[in-house]
Amino acid sequence: MATGDYDRVAEQTEGATTEQTASGLLSVVAVGITFLVLSPLLWLFLRAVEIEPARAVELVTSSTTVTVTANTVVLVATVTALSVVVGVPLAILTVQTDLPFRRFWTVTSALPLVVPSYIGAFAFVSAFGPRGHLADLLAPLGIKQIPAMYGLPGATLVLTLFTYPYVFLTTRAALLSFDGTTVEAARSLNQTRWQAFRRVTLPQIAPGIAAGALLVALYTLSDFGTPAIMQYDVFTRMIYNEFGARRIDYAAVLSWLLLVMAVGILAVESRIEAGRDGAYISRRSRRPGEIRLGRLKTPALLFCALVATLGLALPVGILLHWLIRGGIGYSATGQSFELAFAWNSLSVAAGAAAVSVIVALPLAYLAARSDSRLSSLPDRLSYVGYAVPGVVLGLALVYLSLRYLPFVYQSVLLLVFAYVVRFMPQAVGTTKSSLLQIDPGYIEAARSLGYSPLAAFRKVVLPLVAPGIAAGAALVFLTTMKELPATLMLRPPGFETFVTYIWQVQDAGYYGRAAIPALVLVVVSGLSMVVILRRERYNAG
Amino acid sequence: MRTDRDGDDEPSRNLSSQRSRRSFLATSGLLATGALAGCTSILGSNEGESSELTVEDFRGSSPLVEQRGAPGGTSIEDLPDLSGELTMYLGGGESGLYLELIDLLEQIYPDFSVEHQRESASNLANRIAEENRAGSTPADVFMAVDAGALGAVANEGAAVSLPAETLDLVGGNFQDSEGRWIGFAGRARAVSYNTNELSEGDVPTSVQAFPGTEAFRDSFGWAPSYSAFQSFVTAMRVIQGDDTAREWLNSMQDLGVTTYNNEFVVSNSAADGEVAAGFANHYYAIRVQSDRSDAPVDLAFTEGDAGALVNASGAQILDGTENQDLAETFIRHVLSAEAQEFFATQTFAYPMIDDVEPVGGLPSINELNPPDIDLTELSDLGGTVDMLRDVGIL
Repeated sequence: MATGDYDRVAEQTEGATTEQTASGLLSVVAVGITFLVLSPLLWLFLRAVEIEPARAVELVTSSTTVTVTANTVVLVATVTALSVVVGVPLAILTVQTDLPFRRFWTVTSALPLVVPSYIGAFAFVSAFGPRGHLADLLAPLGIKQIPAMYGLPGATLVLTLFTYPYVFLTTRAALLSFDGTTVEAARSLNQTRWQAFRRVTLPQIAPGIAAGALLVALYTLSDFGTPAIMQYDVFTRMIYNEFGARRIDYAAVLSWLLLVMAVGILAVESRIEAGRDGAYISRRSRRPGEIRLGRLKTPALLFCALVATLGLALPVGILLHWLIRGGIGYSATGQSFELAFAWNSLSVAAGAAAVSVIVALPLAYLAARSDSRLSSLPDRLSYVGYAVPGVVLGLALVYLSLRYLPFVYQSVLLLVFAYVVRFMPQAVGTTKSSLLQIDPGYIEAARSLGYSPLAAFRKVVLPLVAPGIAAGAALVFLTTMKELPATLMLRPPGFETFVTYIWQVQDAGYYGRAAIPALVLVVVSGLSMVVILRRERYNAG
Repeated sequence: MRTDRDGDDEPSRNLSSQRSRRSFLATSGLLATGALAGCTSILGSNEGESSELTVEDFRGSSPLVEQRGAPGGTSIEDLPDLSGELTMYLGGGESGLYLELIDLLEQIYPDFSVEHQRESASNLANRIAEENRAGSTPADVFMAVDAGALGAVANEGAAVSLPAETLDLVGGNFQDSEGRWIGFAGRARAVSYNTNELSEGDVPTSVQAFPGTEAFRDSFGWAPSYSAFQSFVTAMRVIQGDDTAREWLNSMQDLGVTTYNNEFVVSNSAADGEVAAGFANHYYAIRVQSDRSDAPVDLAFTEGDAGALVNASGAQILDGTENQDLAETFIRHVLSAEAQEFFATQTFAYPMIDDVEPVGGLPSINELNPPDIDLTELSDLGGTVDMLRDVGIL
């Protein structure tokens, strides 16, 4: 058991008290961070208690609420399962096999994450909708009707295509930190490739898969855009309607229900994680030998190509189509696109990513290094912020900041804080899964060589978790770039970003004019992704 | 009550009585392109020059617009100068077009500038409410495409009353009874329909007749989460009572209605033939046409009922502003002859002051015969959302 190992280390080292002080300090820091990221819930509480209790009960028990809850659960389950089915094989193919053009497929597999759902879903409707481009193409062949892609199937498909990269990236990070000799050992013991995968690889990368799946599930729970466009009724839509009707108290009560669902998801994930036996066997001396795909090479390539086509080529193609068709110059919006918007997007996203990985480290470390439920509580709770819809978070911070820290209102500081609240859990997840793979023996060795706990951490742990931190930074960076509702609510006056600009032209119905900034967003995010992936690879040795 | 309008059987009251509706939109498509092009040239040509703008600059250029006479009302020349900086919240997608007007004003007055933030009208109303509860809002003026949002802010006590001389410019239907917001452009409820699938007479003149219209069966669109649609249902509840509204919503569902996310998409889907027709504000079909001049889409209006509701885009001064005089003068400018001409010809909205006409082809507000209703009453959407949820639409 991990704790056992760790305790043994602690006992054996002379500085047991330093150890305890360090761990106590860590707990205090982690609890502080958790309180800070959960502070917006205070506002939700203040607003929710304003509703008459009878009305609240009526609202929560209404048949619509029940139906919508069921819809939401089904959507979260299907999207999460499908994301694992798509993301894990892609990660294995690009890390562990002799797939041709691996670097290329790594990038294309990660990139759908940069496509904002409001663009991706629109692309799908205009491609596969009842009067979409596919229908136009098929019409001359005498095919009058194509299957409707609205509702649950459409929402599942679109959300999966744009969120599976969470699973892909976290699984990939786990695979990169993973010691390949164990697989070779298993193979040498006459285990088939599948057996070796199931018995050796899978338990090792399970925390990574679970971390990604958790992000997918919570993202699906909090996403409004895609289900709305795909006409599938989910919880966020109900909340959105209450905000539209300007009944903030109702919206607050429904938001609490959403958070209860989020806690449910977290509980499920905890159970999966609890079964992580053998998580510390890794020695990470070297990467596993390449798996030869052989006859599977063609199907594997086709699989990668299919996912890249649907998740990347299609939305980009639709944007290009909008660009060509939308002949009217985009000066007519009253504001043309400026390079400063791109710079704004990049700088707040970089800021959010940097703060997030720093803040995530203590939470992840505490959770990974201890098996006690209490120690992993800060880590678990920090995920709640991820399930809070952006518009709820935005309003909460409007009120709380003006009330208690008026000088930060409408400053970049508050905006970055909002991003950290929403997206930091992504960094916690990837960092933790990397930490879980580090053998405590390494720390033991460093400590016995006379390093202080902090120095041991810096010299031994940090380099080993670098891939996880890099993946976390990438996730926070990319999701911040495309975050819309909180950005709209909290940006400083005159501060426009890619997404606020896209929103402005798209909301006015000028889709053609959204094309250029949307393409630039995808390209810039893509380039950042390439840089990050390259770095991750370097760090992984 | 107005139930006497049920089963209203007058001949189709829409644009065809004045001209072919097909040709109306064909021309206005041209107008849209022309207006946008014209606008670009204004902004381009005036860079660095001293800015003596004329009505033409506010109007843009197109064949239809050339036939218009000079707008009536007070000219900007006769108003006090604008000087200083205003912080403004702009609510709603169309508000982007208002930025062009603000640009023009900034050109006229070099000492005047506007710091703006755009978001949906509802979100901004919520935000102003939260800002007000926590202290006060940093914005001076709220311009929104939906009178309901302005009404909500006023009811929160977050807006101040406008001076009487400003309120006198606009009809009582298009301002708050306590003067805490004023309309500057009208948006009529309308029906966008596909001209290949429906003929002119197929669209009934009463919304109550829609559920019984077989041509709409399984081929009608609406956007129930869109604020203008909810205002329309609220109006129906106010005019005809909750029972009638509920029954109407249920029978529309029995007819087979397709739900969309916003009314531009409703109009676009009508143009695509995905549905034969759908509820949308009047300018959305014009938008679709300006995007695709060959789109087979046109407009029809009902008469005298909630379906003919004319909502207002309006402005208000927010409580706690330190720029009240400037804000008041700014709102006077929005109601000037030139600005009203701008709204009429560039956003296809209904002007709010006498003596400025809507673009040719659109029926006048009097011809539309909108229901007599206090738009501030429409700010309480809660009951409507409950009803829509109850009958399973939201």
